[in-house]
Amino acid sequence: MPSLGTIVFGTLQTMGMTLRAAFRRGNTVPYPRKKRRVPGQWRAGSFALTFDPATGEENCIGCRLCEYICPSEIITVSLRKGEPRKNGIGATFCDAFVLDYQACMQCELCIQVCPTDAIVMTRALAPAVRSRNGLLLTKERLMDNGQALLAAPALASEATATKLREWTDAARGLPKAEETP
Amino acid sequence: MSAAPVEIVEREFGELALNMGPQHPSTHGVLRLVLHLSGETVIKAIPVIGYLHRGVEKLSEHLAYDQLAPVYERDDYLAPTANSNAFVLAVEQLGSIAVPRRAQWLRAFVAEWQRVSSHLVWLGTLGLDLGGALGGGTTLYMYCFRERERILDFLEEFTGTRFHTNTNLVGGARYDLDAAMAARSDALAASIKTALPELWAMSGGNPIFQERTRGVGVISADLALGVGVTGPTLRASGVSYDVRKAASYDAYAELPFQVVTRTAGDAEARFQVRFDELAESLKLVRTIVAGLPTGPIFARKPLKNPKATKLPKGEAYAAVESPRGELGFHIVSDGSAKPYRLKINAPSFKNLQIVPHLLPGGLVADVVAILGSLDPVMGDVDR
Amino acid sequence: MSALTTGWLGAVVLSATVLGVAMTIVAYLTWLERKVAARMQNRIGPYEVGFPHGWLQPLADVVKLIIKEDITPRAADRILFNLGPLLVVVPALTGFAFIPIAKGLAIVDHAYSFLFFTAFASLTLLGVFAAGWSSNNKYALLSALRMVAMAASYEVPMILALLIPALLSGSFQLTEVVEAQRGLWFIGYPLVGQVAFLIFLICALAEGNKSPLDILDAESELIAAYNVEYSGIKFALFYAGEYAHTLAICALAATVFLGGYLGPAFLPGFVWLAAKCLVLFVVILWIRWSLMRLRIDQAIRINWMILLPAALVNVLIAAFWVVGR
Repeated sequence: MPSLGTIVFGTLQTMGMTLRAAFRRGNTVPYPRKKRRVPGQWRAGSFALTFDPATGEENCIGCRLCEYICPSEIITVSLRKGEPRKNGIGATFCDAFVLDYQACMQCELCIQVCPTDAIVMTRALAPAVRSRNGLLLTKERLMDNGQALLAAPALASEATATKLREWTDAARGLPKAEETP
Repeated sequence: MSAAPVEIVEREFGELALNMGPQHPSTHGVLRLVLHLSGETVIKAIPVIGYLHRGVEKLSEHLAYDQLAPVYERDDYLAPTANSNAFVLAVEQLGSIAVPRRAQWLRAFVAEWQRVSSHLVWLGTLGLDLGGALGGGTTLYMYCFRERERILDFLEEFTGTRFHTNTNLVGGARYDLDAAMAARSDALAASIKTALPELWAMSGGNPIFQERTRGVGVISADLALGVGVTGPTLRASGVSYDVRKAASYDAYAELPFQVVTRTAGDAEARFQVRFDELAESLKLVRTIVAGLPTGPIFARKPLKNPKATKLPKGEAYAAVESPRGELGFHIVSDGSAKPYRLKINAPSFKNLQIVPHLLPGGLVADVVAILGSLDPVMGDVDR
Repeated sequence: MSALTTGWLGAVVLSATVLGVAMTIVAYLTWLERKVAARMQNRIGPYEVGFPHGWLQPLADVVKLIIKEDITPRAADRILFNLGPLLVVVPALTGFAFIPIAKGLAIVDHAYSFLFFTAFASLTLLGVFAAGWSSNNKYALLSALRMVAMAASYEVPMILALLIPALLSGSFQLTEVVEAQRGLWFIGYPLVGQVAFLIFLICALAEGNKSPLDILDAESELIAAYNVEYSGIKFALFYAGEYAHTLAICALAATVFLGGYLGPAFLPGFVWLAAKCLVLFVVILWIRWSLMRLRIDQAIRINWMILLPAALVNVLIAAFWVVGR
C-alpha cells in the first residue's frame, strides 16, 4: 500500500483538479439553440443530384459507376436515352435513381467516381425522418435537393468529384506528368 | 431440427457461476465472460465471443478490392484507418502497386492521430471501469473525450467525417494536407499535450488508481509470447516488438520515434505504455507535418469501375501496428477483381486469449481492471 | 406558536414540515448533484427542462419513474422485494426527527437521541440487504455480500468517531450536544475534533455508497447492484432514499461537529443548519466525482488497519482530556 503521504497528496491533487475544472466554462454546445459550424467537406448530410447552373440540365448521365462502386450496394440506376444536352456531356440520362440512405456508410466513393459531378453530398444538418420511407432517396427527392443547391450552392459539400479527383491526380505536386502503373 | 439447447454451466459445489454477460457496462463491447466465483474470488473465467460477428471476411469475397477499403474500418472501430491501411498494404503488395511517398506520410499522419484518439478512449473507459459511471471515473472519461472531440473535429475538417474517414485508397491516400490544415494539426497537437498532465493526475498519479492497477493481472514475457498477445500488452511485459519498427510500412522507416516498453507486466505497466505512446504519437504527428514530402498522393489512374482492377494470382500478408497490436490482412487472390479468401489477423482476438490465464485468483473488481488494461474492441475480436 | 409545537399536535405538525422540506430538498439535491458533477466534467448538466437551468428536471424524473411499469421478478421473494425500498427510505427520513432545528426544538428530544440516530442510519443497510437477497439475481446477491462486509466494518470507526462529540459534550442528547458547541464547534478542537470529523466523513462515504467506497453500488462491475431488478416507483424510492440517507448523515455531521443551528443571529438557526448540510453535501459530491473506487479488500484493509486504530487512539486522547479538564 502506498504511504499515507502519497495517499493524501494524490487525493488532494485529484480533487484540486476537479475543483479547478468546476469553474471553467462548460464545453456543451446547446443544440438546437446554437448550431455548430459544419465543415466544408462534411459528409453526414444528405445527397443531391446536381443540375448545371448555366443551362439548368441534369448532370447525371446514367453511367452507373456509382452503383458499381458502392460497397453497401445501395444505389440503383437505370439509363435512358434522350436529347443531347447543350453543355455537351451527352444524350443519356438516368431513368430511375434510388439511393437507400439507411445503409449508406458515407464513404464518398460514389462521389469520387462520378464523371460529371452529378451526385454530391449536402452540408445541411439533415433532419430526422418519421418513417423509413423518408430515408429512401428517390430521384425526385434527390433532384429537389439538387434544385435547393442551385439556389444555395454553399449547401453542397466541397468534396465534389472534381475536387476529389484533383487531390488524387497522379500528376499533382509534380513539375511534369509521370507514367505510373 | 430440435429446439435450441439449454446451456448448462458446469460448476463445483459452492461456486457461483456468474454471467458477466454481453450486456455489461464494462466488457468493452459485447463480450460474455462466464465467471465461476467463490465469494468474490474468480476461480475460472471463460470468454464467449461472437456477439458482434458480422461476416466481414465472407463479405470480402463478394466485393471488389477498390470497394473494400471502407468496409474494414468498421472492424476495429476505434482506429479505423489502421484496418484499411493494412488492407491496402496487402493489396498493393499483391498487385505490386507503388505508393507515392507523400501518400505514405499522409497515411501515417492519420494513423497516428487515430492512435491518439483510440488511446484517449481507452483511458476514459478505463476510468469508467475503475471508477464507475457515478463517480470519479466519469470525470476522467469526460476529460478524455473532451480532448478526443477536438481530434474528431479536426478529422472532420480534414476528411469530411469524424471516424471512418476512408482516407486510404489502394494506391495512395485520398485527402491532401494544405498549409492551413497542417497548422491546425500542429496547434491541436500542442493543445492536447497541455492536457496530458491533467489526465495523468486523474489517473496514473492518483493513489487509488495505482492501488487498483499495481500487481493486477501480471503477464510474464513467457506467457505473453506463448499465448500470442501483441501491442502495448506485449510491450508492457518487456518484449519490445512494434510492427512499425520490426516490419516498417508507410513512412515509419523514416520517422524517429521510441518503442515504449515496461517490464512489470501488470495493469499499471500497460497503462504507462499506452499513456507514453499517446505522448509519442503527439510528437510524431508534428514530425510528420514538418517533414511531409511533396508530390502526388495517388499513383494510379482515377477510380472507375472497380471490377476492372484485377490482381495477379498469389497471396500476400501485410500488418500494421494498430493501437491494439499487430493488425494483419492475409489475402489470397485467384486472379479476379475480388479476393478469393481474406483473413484478418485481429490483435484484440489474440489479446483476449489471455483472459482465462489472468483472471483466476483475482477478485471481481480485478476482472474489470484487467479487461480495461487489455483494451479489447469487440468489433476487432468478432469482425 | 408554542401550542403548535408541543404535544401530539406539535409532533405531527413538526414531522410534516420537516418531512416535506426534507423530501423537496432531496429531490433538488439530485439536481444539485447533476449540476455539480457536470461542472466538474466541463459540461452544463440539465438545462433544457426548465430552461435555462433545468430546475424542472427532478420533477420530470419523478414523473417518469412513477409512470413506469412496476416489474417484480417471478422468482423473487415478494415480501422482502417490496420491503427493500421502504427499509431504505423510512429509516433515513426518521433520522431527521432527531436533528435539533432550534434551541431545544427537535421532533424527538430524547436523552439518547444521538444513539437512536445512528441506529436508524444503520437500518438502511438492512433494506439494501433485503433488496439484494430477494431479487433472485446474482449481481444483487454479490452486492448484498459486499454490503455485509463493508457495513459491518465501517460502522465501528464511525461510532467511535461519533463518540468524540458525546465525550466532549458529556451527553447523548443531540440538543445538548449542539448547546455544548456554543464556545467552539467540535471540529475546532485541536486534533481530536479534526481526526474524528475526517474518520466520520470517510465512514459516511462508505455508508452512503459514494465513491471511493461505493463498492456496493459498483456500477461498472455489478451494473446496478442491489437495485438491478427494481423499476418504477420502487427504484425512485431507492434513489430518493440514498439521497435522504446522505442528507441525514450530513445533517448529523453538521449537528455534532459543525454546531448545528448555531450561527450569527442575523439568520434563523435552521437556515444555518441547512447551509452547513449543503456545504457538507457538496464536499461529499466533490469527493465522489473526483476519486475512483477502491477494491473491497483494500477498503476493508483501510478500515481495520488505519481507521479503527486512529479512531481508538482518538477516543483515548479525548477521554483523557475530558477527565483531566
